[in-house]
Amino acid sequence: MAPHHRKWFQAPWEFREAALMAIMTAAFGFAIQYALGGQGITLPAWPLNGVILTLLALATTALGLSFRNRPPVQWLGGIPLGLSLILSLAVLSFIGGMVPQGAEGNPAAVRLGLYSIFSSWPFALTVALFLVNLGLSLVWKTVPFSPKNLQFILFHAGFWIALACGIFGSSDLQRLIVPVYEGRSTSRGLVSGGGREVRDLPFSVKLHDFSIEEYPPQLMFYDPESDRFIMAGTQAVTEVRKGTTISWKGTRVEVTEFMDSAMPGPDGIPITAPPSAGIPYAKVRITGSGEQPDTWLSTGGPGMRPYVAGIESQILIMVPGSPKSYRSAVTIQAEGGRSLEAALEVNKPVNFEGWKIYQMGYDEESGRFSTLSLIEAIRDPWLPGVYLGFFMILAGNTLFFWNGIKRSGVEA
Amino acid sequence: MIIDFTAAAYLSIAFWASGSLLGIAARGNSIMKNAATGLNLGGSIIMIAFIAMYWSALERPPLRTLGETRLWYAALIPLVGLLVEQRWNISWLKYYCMALAGFFLSINLMHPEVFDKALMPALQSPWFIPHVVVYLVGYVLLAASSVAGWHNILLTWRKKNTLQNDAIGHYLALLGFVFLTFGLVFGALWAKDAWGNYWSWDPKETWAFIAWLIYLGYLHASSWKVRRLNLQWYLALAFLVLLVSWFGVNYLPTAANSVHTYQQS
Repeated sequence: MAPHHRKWFQAPWEFREAALMAIMTAAFGFAIQYALGGQGITLPAWPLNGVILTLLALATTALGLSFRNRPPVQWLGGIPLGLSLILSLAVLSFIGGMVPQGAEGNPAAVRLGLYSIFSSWPFALTVALFLVNLGLSLVWKTVPFSPKNLQFILFHAGFWIALACGIFGSSDLQRLIVPVYEGRSTSRGLVSGGGREVRDLPFSVKLHDFSIEEYPPQLMFYDPESDRFIMAGTQAVTEVRKGTTISWKGTRVEVTEFMDSAMPGPDGIPITAPPSAGIPYAKVRITGSGEQPDTWLSTGGPGMRPYVAGIESQILIMVPGSPKSYRSAVTIQAEGGRSLEAALEVNKPVNFEGWKIYQMGYDEESGRFSTLSLIEAIRDPWLPGVYLGFFMILAGNTLFFWNGIKRSGVEA
Repeated sequence: MIIDFTAAAYLSIAFWASGSLLGIAARGNSIMKNAATGLNLGGSIIMIAFIAMYWSALERPPLRTLGETRLWYAALIPLVGLLVEQRWNISWLKYYCMALAGFFLSINLMHPEVFDKALMPALQSPWFIPHVVVYLVGYVLLAASSVAGWHNILLTWRKKNTLQNDAIGHYLALLGFVFLTFGLVFGALWAKDAWGNYWSWDPKETWAFIAWLIYLGYLHASSWKVRRLNLQWYLALAFLVLLVSWFGVNYLPTAANSVHTYQQS
């Protein structure tokens, strides 16, 4: 806390001046945003972003080394301003955490950038000032070097690098959604978030096969009156297998037969079918209230109506299981000639010529019968910088943890 | 449900409650004290055993839903209290910790979870366990630091606070921050593999970032000339932000856009 007898702007500056600086920076940013009619900041792409970032780093280093004993510069790289900016970033992020980003809303709020806070001027200016503050403190702890500052250097340098590369590199990020049907090949993608803008890829993707594995289907009661699904009074999802039983309100249902892939035969009785054409069927025995002859249930599918059973005022249905995994067998072929056979799966992207290729989605209407696979191709040339920053942060934190454990007890 | 959660939860709560009563009654008696510690430990061991059995019955890590994460908090937070007692000879923290654990189990008793084995493809990753467990430990430590903050505020008002008490809150926050950072970075590395971007300002990410900044702010405030009582207030209240990030975010207007809601049904 600032001593009470110190007047505003009386040297040495502390929290009051720092808080004012942080507020002014954000206010100035909001003013620019408003004056531009809500237009957020557009960062330059390579090479200009690299030039600006290098100049920022050089200017910070020069300022820190040449004027390290000047009180205003010490304040600019000091903890009071750092703390004020951390809290200011937290407040700006709080706006982003409360206001649905990218949505429509009050025109004045839109114009101030509240619906796109993370690409707004106040956020960008606060981050820029924060990078200067962080950079100066880093220069002072690094020159002259001392091993006891290692934890500080790793954490702060890591944060600087990750933040700077993440923000300045965002303009070089390319995200393309590549829809491709089984048996077809494509080398064009839709720009993610870019409406209908199409761009050419430096490679083509051929989809040989798209397949989905599902969890077992579930038994549920459907109440048409309230239009609700009832989980049969249990607290467990009932996975349909041979022998599964559920009991509820005097009704007992037992699965006597289960086929995970079948289609209706000529007499309505299901017969086994290959997974590409069939749907799950289960034969159930219903006893107790609503007792009836054994009957078949099915989830239904393209061109196949679901089989259900009425039990008094409710309907016993079989719901398809949620997708367990889905994958695309593809061949990726570069313009130059290199090619790669790969199985794309969620969480298992494939690297190809500086791009990362992802399994993104499929035609959810068709579910397991989808012949369309949505693949995403992403190029983020600044990623190594961001990751270097991340690992430095983690290394710094490991030392911090170690020191925290060691220096336990009272600090006088 | 295959395993009886109700019985396990009541048993754990009974162990913690009887251990606490015995601990308070023990005063100087070391045999009674050890018995109390045994009971307190027993409560957590029951929960850990339950989690292990539940894990094996679910055939996936019980880390998907908020209710499942509450089980882990309930098991781990009394252990933090007991470790602090062992390490720093401070015994008041464990009572708060066990009360908090009992509270978490009570929420689960009142809102039984659906036993559902399904794990969506995005969650099937080697990052799933480290990301969530590291966060769990971080939250547990920071919950304890918040409890310490409240306790120290009360003691300061009664002019009974000590530097040692403040130091406990500080070290819990420091260790908690380290785990929070690991959780955040692991999450970013995982997000890159699952969604193609290490950071996309998803509401859960945004709130995790806010919480991280708040604790980063605490560490900077504590290394500057900030009054001790103000720091205790800071720690006490900072946990509220973490609570928003843990589950409050599901109730915010921004939640509809979140990819982090894995609650089904």
